Amino acid sequence: GLLLVALLVSHMLLTKEGVTSLPICPNGSVNCQLSLEELFDRAVKLSHYIHFLSSEMFNEFDERYAQGRGFIAKAVNSCHTASLTTPEDKEQAQQIHHEDLLNLILGVLRSWNDPLIHLASEVQRIKEAPETILWKAVEIEEQNKRLLEGMEKIVGRVHSGEVENDIYTPWDGLPSLQLADEDSRLFAFYNLLHCLRRDSHKIDNYLKVLKCRLIHDNNC
Amino acid sequence: DILQWPQISKCRSPEMETFSCFWTAGNFYNLTVPRILQLLYKKSNEEDWKECPDYITSGQNSCYFNASYTSVWTPYCVQLASKNEVYDKKCFSVDEIVLPDPPVHLNWTLLNTSQTGIHGDIQVRWDPPPTADVRKGWITLEYELQYKEVNETKWKELKPRLSTMVPLYSLKTARDYEIRIRSRQRTSEKFGEFSEILYVSFSQIGIGCDHCTEEVEFPWFLVVVFGVCGLAVTVISIMLSKQPRLKMLIFPPVPVPKIKGIDPDLLKKGKLDEVNSILACHDNYKTQLYSDDLWVEFIELDIEDPEEKNRASDTDRLLSEDHLKSHSCLGTKDDDSGRASCCEPDIPETDFSASDTCDATSDGDQFKKATEKEDLLCLERQDNGESLPNLASTDLQHQHRNTQSENSNVWAPFEDSTESPCLSVHTQISNQNSLTSTDFYAQVSDITPAGRVVLSPGQKSKLGRAQREGCTEQNFTMDNTYFCEADVKKCIAVTSHEENEPHVQEEGYNEDGYFTTESLTTTVANLGASAAAPPSSEMPVADYTSIHIVQSPQGLVLNATALPVPDKEFNVSCGYVSTDQLNKIMP
Repeated sequence: GLLLVALLVSHMLLTKEGVTSLPICPNGSVNCQLSLEELFDRAVKLSHYIHFLSSEMFNEFDERYAQGRGFIAKAVNSCHTASLTTPEDKEQAQQIHHEDLLNLILGVLRSWNDPLIHLASEVQRIKEAPETILWKAVEIEEQNKRLLEGMEKIVGRVHSGEVENDIYTPWDGLPSLQLADEDSRLFAFYNLLHCLRRDSHKIDNYLKVLKCRLIHDNNC
Repeated sequence: DILQWPQISKCRSPEMETFSCFWTAGNFYNLTVPRILQLLYKKSNEEDWKECPDYITSGQNSCYFNASYTSVWTPYCVQLASKNEVYDKKCFSVDEIVLPDPPVHLNWTLLNTSQTGIHGDIQVRWDPPPTADVRKGWITLEYELQYKEVNETKWKELKPRLSTMVPLYSLKTARDYEIRIRSRQRTSEKFGEFSEILYVSFSQIGIGCDHCTEEVEFPWFLVVVFGVCGLAVTVISIMLSKQPRLKMLIFPPVPVPKIKGIDPDLLKKGKLDEVNSILACHDNYKTQLYSDDLWVEFIELDIEDPEEKNRASDTDRLLSEDHLKSHSCLGTKDDDSGRASCCEPDIPETDFSASDTCDATSDGDQFKKATEKEDLLCLERQDNGESLPNLASTDLQHQHRNTQSENSNVWAPFEDSTESPCLSVHTQISNQNSLTSTDFYAQVSDITPAGRVVLSPGQKSKLGRAQREGCTEQNFTMDNTYFCEADVKKCIAVTSHEENEPHVQEEGYNEDGYFTTESLTTTVANLGASAAAPPSSEMPVADYTSIHIVQSPQGLVLNATALPVPDKEFNVSCGYVSTDQLNKIMP
């Protein structure tokens, strides 16, 4: 029994590559680092998952609350992150420097930290909010945090100079989520979810572009 | 014709770099007037509506926005208008309208074939649509493959996947297949158009099995049918088999609540009275006792009273001078099904040994109740048993039952003879006069063959008559467990006069010559003891008190002598009490 356990542990320590799940870094090991490829893989998975959840949450909200209210017609769709100049097409995305793009990604993610927290709490106050919307809001908020951490790691690896922290847009939409008038409140939620879906799509796309560019040399 | 306005049918971006909008012109406008429809667009951050930059590239009634006009995550609004009129408007952003082109360059290769050559596996490959820049990661596509046999109508679908190759297993080499693929952007819901159809024909590469016989599919249907039949046959054969053990093993009998002697239907009907009577009869029941012939043996009373059956009122019967004809249990021999079950000959338990114990215990209960209730236990129990079958509605019976609701359970000793329980149980009636005012106590004078209880306070006459028969000659075998009631009667009749009882024995006994067990008891006791204790109404109530007199219609006078509680030594077996036992309890 003891011998078996000893063999197992030593095997685990020696053959990290054999583990198909996330590679394990023993604590205290200096040289152990996740490869950049691994980091990007995880980041892309997370960003894809966040966009998937946002898309579904928006669709559910649209189905349940926005029908017949003409939200689409009214939607001006000004998101709070509009002030961040992010690439709007493929050309721009290809021309931007990867460090700048990474910083932008970080900025968008940070800008969404606050709104996501409030979204998770305020959506519970919607009358008869479906359970699926509730847990998605919470899940997105959690995953966003994890993605932010991962991105900071990537930035730390990739960035040669200092990491810029100043890209950030504050969010002041909390009062609109707490309006007394139900229609206005629901419209505020609709807007926020729409913006969330869009921004998560952006980030997902940017990360895939970066991954193909940096890891696979534009040959995904 | 229905008037159709010009409408924007759809806007689509195949690769997230350009997009096009399509519309229908409708039949609104006059044929003479040239079409002047315009598509105007506006980005969200702009003020003015601009006209479509390219009406040609995407075909008729379309507007093409090339890459320079396209901003992916920017909201657009387009509107279809003529000079003064807006016909339709749509707002969207490009990332929402992505519908990729179909994949290209479909081909297949053979992976392997089965040993019989009937089936084969192939690998299908394709290329992503050329317009989509998958290489740089700008767009991520997933693909859905569909295939079917050539002559089938329904397509089989595979799950959407990211890779551009997929194996298809177990295709029939004798058949030809069609394959088509479509793509969509990941996290979108809508698919683009299908690709061109790829034809798969094994014969073309020389491995077609034209002469292969059609593979017999596993005959699931036959297997199921035969399995079910076999199972049914097995079950039926087990059920019909004579082997009880096997039957027990496979089909264990479901225990059904059954009390011997009690018809379950009776319980269902809820006739508790009959049930109670049956329960009382139950342990002591002997089949042969229920025949009239047996009765005749034990009771030589020529009290055949056919007119009793003609009595209309049960109460009259109760109060009349009818005599006790039959055993209490005989009373259960009624038309009622429940009680009849008590008398059914198929009751297995007829051994007295078992019933003795029951009797003993039940006697004990009776005794206790007697002391507690100061009831004329014998009488009332008899009443219950005999009155139950037919006097369901009589007040008297109700009264009896009310006063001793529990005693109905203690019928065991009553089965065989009326006198046994009464012999064993002597209830004391504190005041015989108290009985005069109420109908709570009445002596069961008779049980008609019909099973009706006849209560008769006025049994003295009977007794008296019975007593007149001489019995001095009779040797009363005291040590005999059973004694003949008829003998007792005779003796009672003889000895009753000798007793120093001021009451009833001289008084009118019923003509029928019935006597209560009480009177019998007293008689027997007197016979055995040869000493009659004077009645004392002030004696403390004992478990057993000899019934001194049956005074009709006043009731019984108990011999107030205190008697030791006999317990189990009082072996009342099947309702008979030996005189020795009586002697033990009697003074």
